Amino acid sequence: MLRILAALAIGALLAVGASVAVVNVASPAPTPPNQPLYNYGTR
Amino acid sequence: MGRLCRLWPALLGAGLAVLALGPALAWGFVLRYDLVFVPDPPILPDSGGFPRAVPSDLVVALLSRVLPGELVQKGLLAGIFVLAASGAAALVPPERRVARLVAAVFYAWNIYLAQRLLLGQWALLLGVAALPWAVRATAMAPARPAARAVGSVAGWGRLVVASVPAAVGGFQAMLVTALTVAPIAVARRRVAVVGVTLGVLSLPWLVPALTSGAVTDPAGVDAFAARADGPFGVLGSLLSLGGIWNAEAGVPGQEAWWLATGRLLLALAGLYGYARMRTEERPGWWGGLAVAAAAGFGVACLGAFAPGVLKWLIGAWAGFGPLRDGQAYLAPMVLVAAVGLASLLRSGAPAVVGLLAPVLVLPTFAWGASGRLAAVPYPQEWRTVQRIVNADPAPGALLSLPWGAHRAFAWNGGRVVLDPAAKMFERRVVRDDTLLVGLPDGGRLRVRGEDPRNRLSLTGVRYVLVAGTENRFPFDLRGWTPVHQGEGLTLLRR
Repeated sequence: MLRILAALAIGALLAVGASVAVVNVASPAPTPPNQPLYNYGTR
Repeated sequence: MGRLCRLWPALLGAGLAVLALGPALAWGFVLRYDLVFVPDPPILPDSGGFPRAVPSDLVVALLSRVLPGELVQKGLLAGIFVLAASGAAALVPPERRVARLVAAVFYAWNIYLAQRLLLGQWALLLGVAALPWAVRATAMAPARPAARAVGSVAGWGRLVVASVPAAVGGFQAMLVTALTVAPIAVARRRVAVVGVTLGVLSLPWLVPALTSGAVTDPAGVDAFAARADGPFGVLGSLLSLGGIWNAEAGVPGQEAWWLATGRLLLALAGLYGYARMRTEERPGWWGGLAVAAAAGFGVACLGAFAPGVLKWLIGAWAGFGPLRDGQAYLAPMVLVAAVGLASLLRSGAPAVVGLLAPVLVLPTFAWGASGRLAAVPYPQEWRTVQRIVNADPAPGALLSLPWGAHRAFAWNGGRVVLDPAAKMFERRVVRDDTLLVGLPDGGRLRVRGEDPRNRLSLTGVRYVLVAGTENRFPFDLRGWTPVHQGEGLTLLRR
């Protein structure tokens, strides 16, 4: 029973964290500064 | 019923592919960093330098003769998820049905795979996806290459089939596979058969690599070493199975402390689960895979914590160049964590949480990593210039301008991609293969190109292709005829 409750609590915690992350990413953000076009990424 | 159970991991992998790729599954090509597919690619392009896309480009070109290139790309990308999920599940005893799915989800949905996909390294991921199958086949391979018994031939056949995705992927996929299966082969006394198999399958890229005269710039060690992609530093990022060098290959929102903590704990739980497997439960490949994971972790740490050693090695022999991007060698550790998590969370509610947790600690990988991956059609003029150039029997190279390795087209949503011209034409394409890597202070690190023949010169050039409407520069048109002038491309012929 304890294992099930712990699993449920962890699952709920992860689900809340995931929802917050998705909302954060989906919410409008200020336009990023203009990056040099031809870089193979940034460290 | 038994057969259906065996299919579940593959179906789950297909579901995860749809969830992760999302808009990338629409009609068109996904173009991002190294992920460059073109319509009607030439079978044998005249390419120089290190054979980075050998034989993957050839396989794509052959498949594109049968199917539209768009479908080929989608099939390969979705295949990575299906292969990874079904393979990881196959390493878990079949009676543990939910645990098999835990391993499947973890191995097909993790930050390593997500970051590599966002860097466009589908060829590497093809090999990574087939790693579990290669591990299984290595453990079951016959002892000697010349073994003639039916069972031995079947075992060898399994090893060949399991190694084909890595062989298609090319050098990086094969090196990761070799690192993973070598300790297993040693422990199981299968060195000869595994060595011969991987050696033969590596010939398509190994021979040109050794004869190309390609050079490796040690500056790439600083550019491509693992970096911190969250709040726990480089070591914490690597232990979380992330830490790719490129900040722009990160999954959106990955640096949030709660997600980073979740990923770190999940990976550590997987490693713990693997370590605590009871002796009688440990499969034949257990020790070898653990050694491979430790070795891969060591390689990943090398560039970040001992760059001088790696630079010295590369200076001594350019063949050590593939170790610059050491984080790629974390793949066996990802597999260890997947199998370990399945061992730890075997059934009941903990297993269900284990099934969902990989997605919940990396939720923004869904839907094309929140839009980072999306399919777009090439503008018609790209097909037009491709037809003009490929229909011309006269010799001479094509010079691709602006002089830079990457492009960021508006029609591709501004996503940075390797110049598609490099893969589009049936003649040599002279292009800049110098890699520029942005630094946090605004500076740029320059990693010299690998093909010494790529010089900004019009000698031996028949066509000049100028992409983009920005960065126009004066061009002396005497002796050059514009054969196409469009909104985004200009093609000149001598």
